[in-house]
Amino acid sequence: MASDAGSTIPLHARNLTVSFADRAALRSISFQLQSGTLTGIIGPNGAGKSTLLRALLGLLPLDAGNVKAFGLPVAKNRQRIAYVPQKQTVDWDFPVTVLDVVLMGRYGRSNSRLWRLLRRPGETDRLAAEQALAQLGMSDFKDRHIRQLSGGQQQRVFLARALCQEADILLLDEPLTGVDVATEEIIFSLIDKLTAAGKTLLLVSHDLSILDRLHQVMLLNRRIIAIGPPEQAATKNNLRQTYGGRLALLDQAEAALTKMK
Amino acid sequence: MLDIFSQIDFQHWLLRPFSERWWQETLCSMLVGVTCGVLGCYVVLRRMALIGDALSHAVLPGVVIAFLITNNTGIVGLLSGALLAGLLTAVLINLISRASRTKEDSSIGIVFTSLFAIGIILVSALPRGLHFDLKCFLFGDPLAVGATDLLLMVIICPVVLALTTALYHPLKLASFDPVVAAAMGVPVMTLHYLLMGMLSATVVAGLKTTGVILVVALVITPASAAYLLTNRLSRMMILAGAFGGLSAVAGMTLSFVTNWPSGATMVVFATAIFGLVLLLSPSQGIVIKMFRRRKMQWIVECEDVLKTVYRNTHEGIEWCNLRLVTNVTRISLRRLHAIVAQLEKKHLLHLNSDNELQLTAAGRIRALEMVRSHRLWESYLTERAGMAVADVHEQAEQLEHVHELVDEVDRNLGHPRVDPHGETIPPGKKPTPS
Ligand SMILES: Nc1ncnc2c1ncn2[C@@H]1O[C@H](COP(=O)(O)OP(=O)(O)OP(=O)(O)O)[C@@H](O)[C@H]1O
Ligand SMILES: [Mg+2]
Repeated sequence: MASDAGSTIPLHARNLTVSFADRAALRSISFQLQSGTLTGIIGPNGAGKSTLLRALLGLLPLDAGNVKAFGLPVAKNRQRIAYVPQKQTVDWDFPVTVLDVVLMGRYGRSNSRLWRLLRRPGETDRLAAEQALAQLGMSDFKDRHIRQLSGGQQQRVFLARALCQEADILLLDEPLTGVDVATEEIIFSLIDKLTAAGKTLLLVSHDLSILDRLHQVMLLNRRIIAIGPPEQAATKNNLRQTYGGRLALLDQAEAALTKMK
Repeated sequence: MLDIFSQIDFQHWLLRPFSERWWQETLCSMLVGVTCGVLGCYVVLRRMALIGDALSHAVLPGVVIAFLITNNTGIVGLLSGALLAGLLTAVLINLISRASRTKEDSSIGIVFTSLFAIGIILVSALPRGLHFDLKCFLFGDPLAVGATDLLLMVIICPVVLALTTALYHPLKLASFDPVVAAAMGVPVMTLHYLLMGMLSATVVAGLKTTGVILVVALVITPASAAYLLTNRLSRMMILAGAFGGLSAVAGMTLSFVTNWPSGATMVVFATAIFGLVLLLSPSQGIVIKMFRRRKMQWIVECEDVLKTVYRNTHEGIEWCNLRLVTNVTRISLRRLHAIVAQLEKKHLLHLNSDNELQLTAAGRIRALEMVRSHRLWESYLTERAGMAVADVHEQAEQLEHVHELVDEVDRNLGHPRVDPHGETIPPGKKPTPS
């Protein structure tokens, strides 16, 4: 046990099983991620991609399995994980400005549980938040109310919040949906910077065109069909298994594959 | 006449509000008002208004059972009874709406009415000799407010205020984005139950003064008023506290003077504040919005009059008839007279005895600015927005009133000399070197 605590494996899932009502949404998922890599989870709608992220974060009851972050149960290591959900469930009329939202990412920067609750963000936190906004090109909007932003801009604000958490693991659920090409480039250059700094990224996408940007791909449809470097894992056969009989998607996948070669 | 006045005891009437009892009660209800206001911000933002109502009713069985056990309405008994009942309500609501597809508002309705019903049965089944004043519970009874109740308020309110202030950041995060808050390790559920507990305690503190039915108003109304005024949670909490405290003090004072029930008077004050804010708030206020639109309309019409007079006077034709101006601008003759009167006062034009108008030198300058603005916008719309030359006039007619941006448009277009229709664009006040 003690030897496990200092583990350098950022994220290690063993035998995760999750079910809703009586249907299994995820079956026996095991994998581990290395530092400084970008892993993409790819699969059709309803494959359980979002469910997997929530299970990794301990936001869902697990039927079986466990997740360790740097050798500790996730619940004990939350400060090191940042999460951007797919559907924002926030209240858009909440009285907060963009900067307020990003500053929320600075919560929990303490080892004492009590102090985490009582701590107020200070000057350093403010600077970090502004820097995160600047990195996503949102500095001009920092004093706006969040309602006054477009969908893509809102998405960038939530990315900025995750960024200023300065976490070692980032779980991003479809961060590229609904953003324009320029923003996509900003996000990818950010991702490159983060992986170069040794962070571990797990990114959900149903868009196969990002295959060539990934270090590792996980093809998911209730179970892991394949995981590995894209050119080995994303074979025609595996993609067909993942996407079932949906030909349109398969065409798209093949197009993406030919583009890679 | 004099006789009637001498019958009224003015001195007594004026001084009564400031008796010692008034001081005590006012201070305590102010404390309750402030606390309700501040806590109310979370209730309003988390859409728990209905839960507030539910909690206030559901504490009845708790209070009755506490009364049964301790045989009086002592502080400790009341408070713990109410807290337990409040938390039970919160847990039950949560269980029912999570575990089944029952919607949250329905489960709130089910839980609190049933707890309230149990409370009523308990009251009726109290052993002989014990009398629980249900009416006081429902409607409050300021006369029954005793030293212990005041003590209760003085204990509960500062604790609640201190907790909401100390936990400001996690509470904000958990209220705004519960999913990510949970992922970040904010104890979302604990905070939820803490809020519920604080709400029950505050309800109990305000119980004797306002009764359960009205105490909800003190929680929701000041916070809703504050919500209309600001985009920052911290400011909202301060404003809501101020509104709550103000309504409590004003209500208490008025009720001492008039002998109206104090709780109801407080609620009327809180609602009055809400109404005023609704009408006058700078960003949302109905009256302010209307006023702004009117003012804008007036400015636009003044400028249109100047422009029309300018266009219709030349060398030789020095005067322009009022009728012509009404025809062109479609402003009614009566309104036009008002506009002309104002423009005359500003020395922008003259009206002669034949109902004819002429621009002064200052008026000509203003009119030229309008023409310049109009033509620049026309150029901008054709060149930058890619609109057809034939279509731009109407839009430019609107845009020309936006003066702040004209110089920027000029710069953006590289200081054009003619507009798309080939007309000369008059130079600006300080011609910028190109
Ligand atoms: N709260 C829930 N209750 C019941 N079933 C659920 C719930 N959330 C998800 N599911 C089911 O679990 C399965 C996986 O859902 P999930 O949201 O993880 O899919 P996904 O891969 O993220 O899809 P998408 O590409 O549409 O985002 C789906 O079949 C869905 O119906
Ligand atoms: Mg999803």
